[in-house]
Amino acid sequence: MGRQRLLLLLIAALVVGAIAIIWRVPTQLGLDLRGGSQLTIQVKPTEKVKEIKSDDLNAVRRVIEGRVNALGVSEPLVVTSGNDQIIVQLPGVNDPIQAERVLGGTAQLDFRRQKPGSDPQFRIEQQQLREKLEIQASLRKSNDTAAIAQNKANLDKTYAAIANLFEKTELTGENLKDAYPSSPSGQTTAQSIWDVALEFDQRGGELFAELTKSLAGTGRTLGIFLDGIPVGPNFAYSVPVQYAETGINGGRAVIEGRFDLETARDLAIQLKGGALPFPVAVVENRTVGATLGRDSIQRSIYAALFGLALVLVFMVFYYRLPGVLADISLLVYAILTFAAFNLLGVTLTLPGIAGFILSIGMAVDANVLIFERTREELRAGKSLYRSVESGFYRAFSSILDSNVTTVIACLALFYFGAGLVKGFALTLGIGVVISMFTAITCCRTLLLYVLGIQSLRKPEYFCPKLPAGTKSEASVIS
Amino acid sequence: MKLQVIQQRKLWWTISLAIIFAGIVAMILSWQKFGAPLRPSLDFVGGTRLQFELDCTKANNCQNPIDIAKARSVLNTEGLGGSSIQAITNREGKQVGLTIRTAPLDGEQRTKLQTALSQAIGTFDPAKTQIDTVGPVLGQQLFSSGLIALLVSFAGITVYLSLRFQFDYAVFALVALFHDVLITMGIFAIMGLVLGTEVDSLFIVALLTIVGFSVNDTVVIYDRVRETIVRNPGQHIDSIVDAAVNETLTRSINTTLTTLLSLVSIVLFGGETLKNFALALIIGFIAGAYSSIFIASTLLALWRERTGKAIAAVAEEPVALSSDEASL
Repeated sequence: MGRQRLLLLLIAALVVGAIAIIWRVPTQLGLDLRGGSQLTIQVKPTEKVKEIKSDDLNAVRRVIEGRVNALGVSEPLVVTSGNDQIIVQLPGVNDPIQAERVLGGTAQLDFRRQKPGSDPQFRIEQQQLREKLEIQASLRKSNDTAAIAQNKANLDKTYAAIANLFEKTELTGENLKDAYPSSPSGQTTAQSIWDVALEFDQRGGELFAELTKSLAGTGRTLGIFLDGIPVGPNFAYSVPVQYAETGINGGRAVIEGRFDLETARDLAIQLKGGALPFPVAVVENRTVGATLGRDSIQRSIYAALFGLALVLVFMVFYYRLPGVLADISLLVYAILTFAAFNLLGVTLTLPGIAGFILSIGMAVDANVLIFERTREELRAGKSLYRSVESGFYRAFSSILDSNVTTVIACLALFYFGAGLVKGFALTLGIGVVISMFTAITCCRTLLLYVLGIQSLRKPEYFCPKLPAGTKSEASVIS
Repeated sequence: MKLQVIQQRKLWWTISLAIIFAGIVAMILSWQKFGAPLRPSLDFVGGTRLQFELDCTKANNCQNPIDIAKARSVLNTEGLGGSSIQAITNREGKQVGLTIRTAPLDGEQRTKLQTALSQAIGTFDPAKTQIDTVGPVLGQQLFSSGLIALLVSFAGITVYLSLRFQFDYAVFALVALFHDVLITMGIFAIMGLVLGTEVDSLFIVALLTIVGFSVNDTVVIYDRVRETIVRNPGQHIDSIVDAAVNETLTRSINTTLTTLLSLVSIVLFGGETLKNFALALIIGFIAGAYSSIFIASTLLALWRERTGKAIAAVAEEPVALSSDEASL
């Protein structure tokens, strides 16, 4: 009896501790439950680097993190996934359009020098560029997709021709200290025209001075390129002759892209966060509006709770006194499991909740197995105490084997599965392990304790309709 | 009630085979229609799914039901003619939103479509918007990672059961697993053809859960078989299996029943997102209980009979009941 008391005390202490944990440590809800956006970003290998290594992936993650932080979303999460993917979670974001734009571009800024003797060709191409960009702007307002595509193809040709006339220099986006939208007209409304102002770091300032010095007075221009294409109609600048001695000092420049405010802001964020070493693409976007997630989940949770209430009633109705104790064990189970989720920082998602509900099913199953065994023993004429003991003892191998197979399935799912599947495997696995404790140890302790109370020690509380002969025998022995 | 599982085994097998056959026919038809055995959702083939609901807090916004024809014409002018559109009906039976599935759209295209739809139909509530875009490559990855997980868990379960029981037990447990997975897939293939039900990544999760539970049921009966063989080594395997199934029958029924209670209430009252998931589990669990009782056990008996091991040798089960009381 001393051992039972001790176990009972231990269980009570665990429950109290678990309640304290649930109270103190908040439950982490997945984006599908609280609303928000999850973007999966695929990092693509380049011609030079055919395989993405984990260092590369982490480098990309750091850049993405920088950009995400600049977006101003609260509690964003950026993690790598697999060998070449990065997952970005933006809680509370209903429309991730800005995030998609900002995170998708590589933003490789570089300053290039016009090649000698390319002037006549350059004038023609620059004229072409301006015309086509204007056409593009007016086409955007219409809905003529075919015309837009046609013009885009023309534009690409011009871009390529222009890129041919310039040579790369050492000065790139890596030499930036800061970037921010600025308005050339001084008007700071959303409707006005915007540029992006750049501030170089020390090395960048030196390179810029050197570059301008080499071009001053030659009539050749300095071109600003983003991801290999000219940044806008005014991407090229000639440097006046007075800078031939010193170059342009001060470490500042402006990208006169004639952007709208949104684009200027996006570009500034991208430039400040640094260029991505690899091209990336947003390959998955899952966004759930805040109330939508809540509604759908609440209904499912209420439905599941309703089902569980029925299970509790069924257990009492069918298994009598042990059923009541099994119900208590189930409540202990629910509290302990929930506390374990909070303690381990499990993020609850929809499949996670499904896994939790199913693990409750497994816990019930263990009790059903035990009680059926107990009844068999009672019917075979054993005493109450011995029936209960051997019910637990003999059901144990079934419970162990069936739970181990489930845990094996969970491990496979957790290891190989992605996202949704992982969450499900984790909650089901934790649940199954805890249910082994509550359904066996906890329930057994309660039962043995109850058997110590004289007025409850009646076989008909355990198994109704016992054959008369066995019943009397059972009560005599107990 | 006492089930004659061995005597009527031809009947049990016919029932299973008939359902599986119907499912396989449906899967072949699906293959011709969708290029996959089940109607795949965008999780596996890629695409964009947009869900909008009207913002009813704004005046005059929700008076008219959603006009699908208007939405259709917007999609046509955006060059997305092949997309599917469905209206969302709220609990009062009013059409308050719509779901659109298109080829994958990037942010720009999506915003353009959203603005155009909003102009044609009304202001949408951003808190009730749902956007899912999956690139086609990613869908493939999801599918193959799920499949690998399924196969690895099969292998793991086989190894464990071979160790704890014997190899032939493990093989027939695996047959029962395939049976349950096939029946669930078959019924969803039929539903895909008849009702347009799509399978998403949650369906793979459901299949995996079914695997876990089905093996659970089978193990409980096997455990009984093993125990009975130890106690009565001279008994014929047919009568052992019959007794084991019947002794565990109440447990099988009660466990399945209690698990189904939660699932059925999710199907009846739960949110849209989990309905098909719960339905798949219900089908799979029923198939799982059935296969444990009628398939795995009868096949084991038949196998032992055919291989001349119908009556167990005395030294056959050395591992039985190795669990010690201390671990309780």
